[in-house]
Amino acid sequence: MHDAVRATVGLFHVSKSYAAGHFALRDVCLEFQRGEFALLSGPSGAGKTTLLKLIFAAERASEGQILVLGRNASRLGAAAIPSLRRRIGVVFQDFKLMPRRTVEENVALALEVVGTPRREVRARVFAILKQLGLQDRRFHHPLSLSGGEQQRVAIARALVNEPEILLADEPTGNLDEELSLEIMDLIAAAAKRGTTVIVATHDSAILERYGGRHVRLEHGRVVSEHSTPAGREGE
Amino acid sequence: MRQLWARLISLTRSALRGLSSSPVASGVAVVTIAISLVLVGAFALLASNMRSLLDDFGDALVVAAYLGENVPASEYPALADLARSVEGVESVQVISPEQALERFRVGVGRGAALLEGLSENPLPASLEITLLPEHQSAAGLGVVVESLEGLPGIDDLGSGQQWVEGYLRALALVRGLGIGLGAILGFAALLIVSNTIRLAMLSRRDELELLALVGASRSFVGAPLLLEGALCGAAGSALALALLFLLFQLVVPGFEFGLELLLGGLSPHFFAPSECLALMAAGVAVGVVGSLFALASERFA
Repeated sequence: MHDAVRATVGLFHVSKSYAAGHFALRDVCLEFQRGEFALLSGPSGAGKTTLLKLIFAAERASEGQILVLGRNASRLGAAAIPSLRRRIGVVFQDFKLMPRRTVEENVALALEVVGTPRREVRARVFAILKQLGLQDRRFHHPLSLSGGEQQRVAIARALVNEPEILLADEPTGNLDEELSLEIMDLIAAAAKRGTTVIVATHDSAILERYGGRHVRLEHGRVVSEHSTPAGREGE
Repeated sequence: MRQLWARLISLTRSALRGLSSSPVASGVAVVTIAISLVLVGAFALLASNMRSLLDDFGDALVVAAYLGENVPASEYPALADLARSVEGVESVQVISPEQALERFRVGVGRGAALLEGLSENPLPASLEITLLPEHQSAAGLGVVVESLEGLPGIDDLGSGQQWVEGYLRALALVRGLGIGLGAILGFAALLIVSNTIRLAMLSRRDELELLALVGASRSFVGAPLLLEGALCGAAGSALALALLFLLFQLVVPGFEFGLELLLGGLSPHFFAPSECLALMAAGVAVGVVGSLFALASERFA
């Protein structure tokens, strides 16, 4: 079977411009396979966040086609977007947690929107929080947690649905080095379970420590791409 | 079923959380709906009471044949027999001037004090003529009145037809005012509810965007907001009903004499349970439609 058909995510000559003549992404061609761990690097404004937004259909490509889990994300209607997003977990630099809801409620959100029975929601939320060492914090509110704990909650929310794709946009941007590695280990572990993981980062320490596929973007273009052997992840 | 209940509980919790997060805006929406419904409800209440009088009048449609002053009391029974022979007449009762005065005294209630100054009874004797059920209509009444007009001893006939027509016009005016005022105030309430929900959406934009990011459908995001509108409407209409009831209890005794003139011997009544439910439904509808306006005008993620 052709790679483009097997790929979980495929971008074909994708460009995105927010203003005439100013391209956030230009003629990007990339494919990500099932279970692949990929790091997107590049300076601020290189187009890393835009690329992730195109994959989870928060933005629409100006040119080109984007295939995500067999669906053309660049042509999806508004009503079809939720069903695609339910198969994608997203982690943000600023965590994006609901401050008035408890940790448990924040994580449960991803299951509630798909109508998972309440009992199953509780069981699965407890399981993922336990896996991430947060079971004792489940009735706390996000603002009473440390930055690392908040990001772990965000990861729990992204993973609780067992998504086929996990996107992380600068997930360690607000954390110190030790916590960054802890968070990256959790994200990288998802790839070992078959999830396609794409992480946008400009943290050179992460790029050095983590193997897998490295894609470098500059001025909206892919300037280099290489794979390195598995590094620290999985240790 | 259990799943549905869980979803309903979750929706209600979410809606209540939303309302409590912007209490001032929610309060303004509730009070606006309440004020609108109090004004509309007051007109509806008046119209409902006026309608009852008409119904009551229709139940006992009678023709009063006023006898001339020169007709001696001894001739009353013969005249009554004559009236009984007219087609369409069911029964005839002789009302003496004394009985007429007593009825008037009872009918005007507290206004009877005005009668104290009278030196003599100004009311004539009359025949109270009840029509057969098949003649209890404007046309049937007309036929009977025409036949009665030819009878001797009858000075004047009072069928109340003109009064009923005038009263119906007044009732239409009250209803029209109520509907017009209701339309204007209802629209104002709709806009305020819509803006309240829009404010709530803006204040929770991060939360709504996050829901969209995790794959929530538009209906999943919109349902609690619709429920917020419905709850505002329900609270507003409940408040309106409470205020109307309070006003009814406080104001009616003060205007008893005026109301007696308007409603006759009928005592004013408050809304029936079905009418209370209709008012509640109107409030909820205003809230839901206001929310729909807000949802249609706002986009997220």
